[in-house]
Amino acid sequence: MSPVSITENPFAGDNSGIQKRETIARWALRVGSYIVVFITVAIMLHIFIKGAPVTFQSKWPFVNTQFLTELPATLHVIEDKQGNHYETDVNGADAIKKKLGDNFRAEKTISYSGGGILGPIVGTALLVIVSVGVALFLGVACAIYLSEYAKHGKFLEMVRLAILNLAGVPSVVFGLFGLGAFVLTAPVFVDVPADRSVFAIPLGFTTLSFEGWDTCVLSGGFTLAFVILPVIITASEQCLQAVPQGFRETSMALGATRWQTIRYSVLPFATPGILTSSILGIARAAGETAPIMFTAALAFKDKLPWQKDLPPLPADASIFAHWEQSVSRFLGIFTESVQALPYHIYTLAAKIPQNEYAERAQYGSVFVFLVLVASLAASSVLLRKRLRAKYRW
Amino acid sequence: MDRPTTPSRPPLRSVLLRSRKHTVLGVDPQHLIRWFFGGNASIAVIVLVLIMTFLLREGIDFLPTYRHELQTYRRAGLEFCDIIDQPLQQNQTLSSSLRQAVSASLETLSKSARDRRDAAFLLKRQIEDKTTQTSESLSQALEKTPPLPPEELAVLRSELQKAAAAAAASLTYTDLFSAAEREQLQREFAALTPEVTDLPPLLQTLAADFTAKDREARTKFASLVQAQEEFEAATEPLQEVVDELKQHAQETKENAVEFEVLETNRLRLLEAAAKEKDPVEKASLTKEAEASFTEAVNLAERIQAITSRATELREQVEKYALVIEKAAAVLPTDAGTGVARTMVNDVRAGIPVHAQAMRKAAAQLDSWRWDKPVSIFTVVGAFFFGTSWITNSSWQDFFGFVPLLSGSLVIAFIAILIATPVSVVAAIYTNQFASEREKELIKPVIEFIQAIPSVVLGFIGISLVGNLIKDVSEWSWLQWIPGFPIQERLNMFNAGCLLAFMAVPTMFSLSEDALNNVPRAYIDASDALGATKLQTVFRVIVPAGISGILSAILLGLGRVIGETMVVLLVAGNRIAIPDFSAGPGAIFQPAHTLTGIIAQELGEVSRGSSHWQALFMVGIVLFVISLLVNWCARAVARRFEPHKA
Repeated sequence: MSPVSITENPFAGDNSGIQKRETIARWALRVGSYIVVFITVAIMLHIFIKGAPVTFQSKWPFVNTQFLTELPATLHVIEDKQGNHYETDVNGADAIKKKLGDNFRAEKTISYSGGGILGPIVGTALLVIVSVGVALFLGVACAIYLSEYAKHGKFLEMVRLAILNLAGVPSVVFGLFGLGAFVLTAPVFVDVPADRSVFAIPLGFTTLSFEGWDTCVLSGGFTLAFVILPVIITASEQCLQAVPQGFRETSMALGATRWQTIRYSVLPFATPGILTSSILGIARAAGETAPIMFTAALAFKDKLPWQKDLPPLPADASIFAHWEQSVSRFLGIFTESVQALPYHIYTLAAKIPQNEYAERAQYGSVFVFLVLVASLAASSVLLRKRLRAKYRW
Repeated sequence: MDRPTTPSRPPLRSVLLRSRKHTVLGVDPQHLIRWFFGGNASIAVIVLVLIMTFLLREGIDFLPTYRHELQTYRRAGLEFCDIIDQPLQQNQTLSSSLRQAVSASLETLSKSARDRRDAAFLLKRQIEDKTTQTSESLSQALEKTPPLPPEELAVLRSELQKAAAAAAASLTYTDLFSAAEREQLQREFAALTPEVTDLPPLLQTLAADFTAKDREARTKFASLVQAQEEFEAATEPLQEVVDELKQHAQETKENAVEFEVLETNRLRLLEAAAKEKDPVEKASLTKEAEASFTEAVNLAERIQAITSRATELREQVEKYALVIEKAAAVLPTDAGTGVARTMVNDVRAGIPVHAQAMRKAAAQLDSWRWDKPVSIFTVVGAFFFGTSWITNSSWQDFFGFVPLLSGSLVIAFIAILIATPVSVVAAIYTNQFASEREKELIKPVIEFIQAIPSVVLGFIGISLVGNLIKDVSEWSWLQWIPGFPIQERLNMFNAGCLLAFMAVPTMFSLSEDALNNVPRAYIDASDALGATKLQTVFRVIVPAGISGILSAILLGLGRVIGETMVVLLVAGNRIAIPDFSAGPGAIFQPAHTLTGIIAQELGEVSRGSSHWQALFMVGIVLFVISLLVNWCARAVARRFEPHKA
């Protein structure tokens, strides 16, 4: 050790080694953390730069309405001898070809890349509505039991373990489950049971046959509901637990029953939180692809679910027949298979050859999809923050 | 002991709380409500049970079905042919590397000539591309009857010449050509017209140059070329016999399968006929059943035709082995380049092994019995340890699990290897070092990753990451990395990177929770002893939170193995066990995964077929894996739990 000179602070730490090491380590950790942030931002920017031009435009109304309000279609690209490219759909192709006449040079067709993405958006919305409806009902009821009724014991432990495990089941296994359970086995009222029916209960005027719902919104929605069930249960339970114990005790002390306590002193304060957290469930349900692959999604469909093809009625059909057809069309939103945004993106990315036109459709769909999902997630986070500020007990 | 008898009092509680209770069917509604919620709570348990039930219902028949298929495979003699045919595949690998060695050797002499030729042809094609429109219109004009007046043709011609000249001038000529040659090329290209199909003179010279060089090279490496040709020819007589047998076996199998279908059909019809009451219907059903009757295939007789040729087959194998061993002995040691020399040496070492394998296979022919029953253990082994997953094959479908599992595991391993350091570092930094403002940036961004749908990440893998990795792998100063430059854009490494990105939020938040849960007293004690921040973090906080971090890693692993869309889009979907002999570079090979195979193939198979059942079996395995991983994560969290201070 060298002797310390008088002018220096004798209590100063040893600056040489340790502090340098501290700084280096701190910076290494900082760089490590910011790498993730950087990559995330880079990916988002990439999608934004490539996808925004498809969705927006520089003229009024600034949004590419065709892309958002038309059904997907096959894109026809016609080239003339001057090297000009005309993009059109299947109906416009012939007219352009006739107009060009001798000047026509080549025609390319690109599946799924023309038109817009209204079909997938509608399909995803329907799937989300069904799944969130089912999952909220089951999940909130489960959370109420766990938070308000359950006592420590075997049953509670089993339920908690099951929820944990359910959260870890791969989504494609949920898809298989949905296929086996809802598409092929779920009960349905029919006049004549199909061959594959597991068993049929005759009810006189009709038969309850366990032959499945086929691929439709209902099957996909129920499958997705079980995918997001653990998310909803956990979130709801947290919200219920956040309601102060005092509220319940006060209510009970006034002689309210357990149910009255829950109904009037717990749920009103927990509901906003449950709803905000379930938005996260919506985002998850909208984003899953594997569970709906075999249960609800179609690669291509040129109709919206409520535009079902039905045999035209005779001119003298009764009002009842018209009414029946309308109802059947309306029920199409549950009983028809649909296109869904994530599956549409999968189809565009994996099933068709890549070129500039396909790429435009891809980035456009991805951009819209990401904006939808991200805004859901962001609104959930923001609302939760505001709620927390509001209910501070 | 004698108890003092307490005077009986009216039950106070019931007196005080005596109220007019509503009952529903004799049950207290409060209890009903409680049961309702309890019933809903058990839904999670019920769903887990239902998942298992439905997977088993569709998948459990796989074992008997597959067993039956394997039995047919054996009885029809397909297995017999495969005994020889499988090791014979090795021949192709060997001869292809020999072929590569030959072409590498030839290139040492002919490469420059070939490059010049190829470059010139490439330039020509570019010119033609640029002048397509004008040349097309000229050729159409030339074909017209009656012929156009010469003035119009001349206009078109001059237009084409102008376009060609402009295109030729705008080309970038590689420095393979001298200045004079470039000028000549430019001149020749500018003069291209659709009528003249002959190559321009310089191109002809270049092509001739290459042919001459190639011939020269072939004479120089004559022994190598000859050895390669001989090696390829050696397999022919053996292959001929095997092909003949294979065809016979195939026929047997087809007949047997057809017989089975008709037989089941007949039995079903007879059953229906027995139930039918209407005599006319009954008669027609019986008649139909009789029409469906066919002669059973006499397997014993047909197999005789195959096994009787075992001796011949053995002789052929022996002959083949001798020929290739001789070829190995005379394989020349001089090859054009170092790479070629190693390849030749590898082949030389590989041939005796291959010959040995062939002889061993031939020895097996004797002990093979066509009527040996296939035990259920063999079937289980064939599924769990089978090395090939072949479907829709005209020969035989195999459902071997190993290629899928190995793909899944390698990808998961890469993902965890990347994600663990990143997420743990981020967790330590945000939890211990970051200021409030940094926390408000890092945490939401990382949690936002969770909201990105997996199909979007898969798309990013195809459109962005794949090209990025491929471009980076072509940088010259990175060539020391094994596997670079990579062949396939979509590979296991690419999938692993994206899955790592997906796993980061899970692992980050759980690790951060674990660090948060470290008792305050530990940190205070460490500070009081004069430890620096870094020492406290790495010697006290991280070891105390290690159980949580480990369980976070395990849960991340569960997420990664179960992820479907990313691997389906990005992993390359080649069903083969990664070639680990390539060293660590194997991670740049494409592969298929457990989840990917279900998503890809389930849509295309018919319900109840062995393929369908096999996919459900894979689903069962995935489900069990996910339960196991969860269980492990809990066990780890409990095992290393710090003692609460």
